[in-house]
Amino acid sequence: MRNVAIRNWVIGTGTPVLLLAAWWFLSANSTDPFFPPLETILIRFQELWLFDHFQSDVLLSLGNLFLGFAIAAVVGVAVGFATALVPPVRWMIDPLIHFLRGIPPVALVPIFISLIGFGTQMRVTSIALAALFPTMIATVDGIRSVSNDLMDVARVYRLSRKERVFNVLLPAAMPQIFSGLQVSLQVAFIVMIASEMLGSSQGIGAMTLLAQQSFMTADMWAGILLLGVIGFLVNILFSLLKRKVLSWYIGSRRMARAA
Amino acid sequence: MKASIRPYAFSALGIAGALVIWQVLATAQVAGNALPSATTVFTTLATILGTGTFWSALGATIGIALLALALAALAGVVLGLLIGSFESVRYATLAVLEFLKPVPPIVILPLAVLVLGPTAEMALFLVVFGCLLPIVMQTVDGVQGTDPVARDTARSYGMGEGEILARVVLPSAMPYIGTAMRLAAPAALVVTVVAGLLGGGPGLGQTIYQAQAAGDYASLYGLVIVLGVLGLLFQGATRLAERRVLHWHESYREVVP
Repeated sequence: MRNVAIRNWVIGTGTPVLLLAAWWFLSANSTDPFFPPLETILIRFQELWLFDHFQSDVLLSLGNLFLGFAIAAVVGVAVGFATALVPPVRWMIDPLIHFLRGIPPVALVPIFISLIGFGTQMRVTSIALAALFPTMIATVDGIRSVSNDLMDVARVYRLSRKERVFNVLLPAAMPQIFSGLQVSLQVAFIVMIASEMLGSSQGIGAMTLLAQQSFMTADMWAGILLLGVIGFLVNILFSLLKRKVLSWYIGSRRMARAA
Repeated sequence: MKASIRPYAFSALGIAGALVIWQVLATAQVAGNALPSATTVFTTLATILGTGTFWSALGATIGIALLALALAALAGVVLGLLIGSFESVRYATLAVLEFLKPVPPIVILPLAVLVLGPTAEMALFLVVFGCLLPIVMQTVDGVQGTDPVARDTARSYGMGEGEILARVVLPSAMPYIGTAMRLAAPAALVVTVVAGLLGGGPGLGQTIYQAQAAGDYASLYGLVIVLGVLGLLFQGATRLAERRVLHWHESYREVVP
């Protein structure tokens, strides 16, 4: 049994190392213009991002991402609550929301470019609007699935409307809201890159596409690596936050399963 | 009776209200030419719908999305069954899959355009890349979630490994695969549009890019509306297909409130 566990651990950590090593050695003397040596890519990575363009491009992109996501999170949860708790509002905006959700988020970027221009404002607006819908829809679903018993108990205890919203509904809907937020974060990341690729000159996405168009392949690979790492790290950080905030929920689920 | 009509009345009111606000804002010229009025957009849309180029772009978009979805489903289920069935393969791929999962296809778009050019193959590759991993991961979960008693029962009836895979493991993984497909179908459409918009691949994305670059805002809005409707159709169709294919499964047999 222990041997199996050790073997699995070795396989698990060994494979990525092996793949990276294979990439390193197979590309070492590569003259293929599309696939430069990994060493060259890493050198360009260090030259570009650590820390020449760090402030002007990396921080700019990340700032837009977090600002847009934060706006989407706050507005999404607020509008979600309004729609779920006031039926006429829900009936009124439900069809519109479903229609807007059907539009690929990236397709909204050209519209914002034509309305606001190429600046930071456009990028944050695009990110915020595109990331709004997953959170909002998850919030509505989360509130609707709160059990009636819970609400009855809250009413029996004569909790005020405010208490019911903040102390009963919000925590009960939290697991679903967080799932929605995670999807929103991924959408925000995609739209961040797209808004930079469409005609702006700053940001990681813009630099990566520009490098591709000017056949600076190593620079392009460096950009792809950075974007991949950011996508991965942002997701991991959010998962950690989620586990922390929802620890009571994860614990109660585990107990329910054990019982 | 009256209460059941009210939601629809409010919905109609909401749509009408949004259109009126749009029309008023546009005629007030709040954003100049960049915000054409609703009436202009819909008349332009009617003209666009009469052109052959629009329909061939629409056909290219739907064709690429569906073909890539089929390829991703086939490859994803086969890979998922493989990874889910062998523990060592699962451990070997775990780290790589976990790293690649949150990386959207738009990240490798520059690479795809560089190697494949602004072609349908490039779009196809990006969509398959984007849809493959979720399908693989869900299939692995499905294989892992197979009831061990059902597996043992099949074995004691003398079924071979292949038969168990086809008759026990695959059906029990089907709901997982169904969920993955329901999420992958709209994503396939999105990535196809992205490949056209940013990578110059064929389809509606490219048409939108051209409209924006030419400052043809009425067409731009019209095309985005088309995409919205198309997105809804994709979502509806996959939900319907999922229910059709999985009608036998217990989670679909009755409506869960």
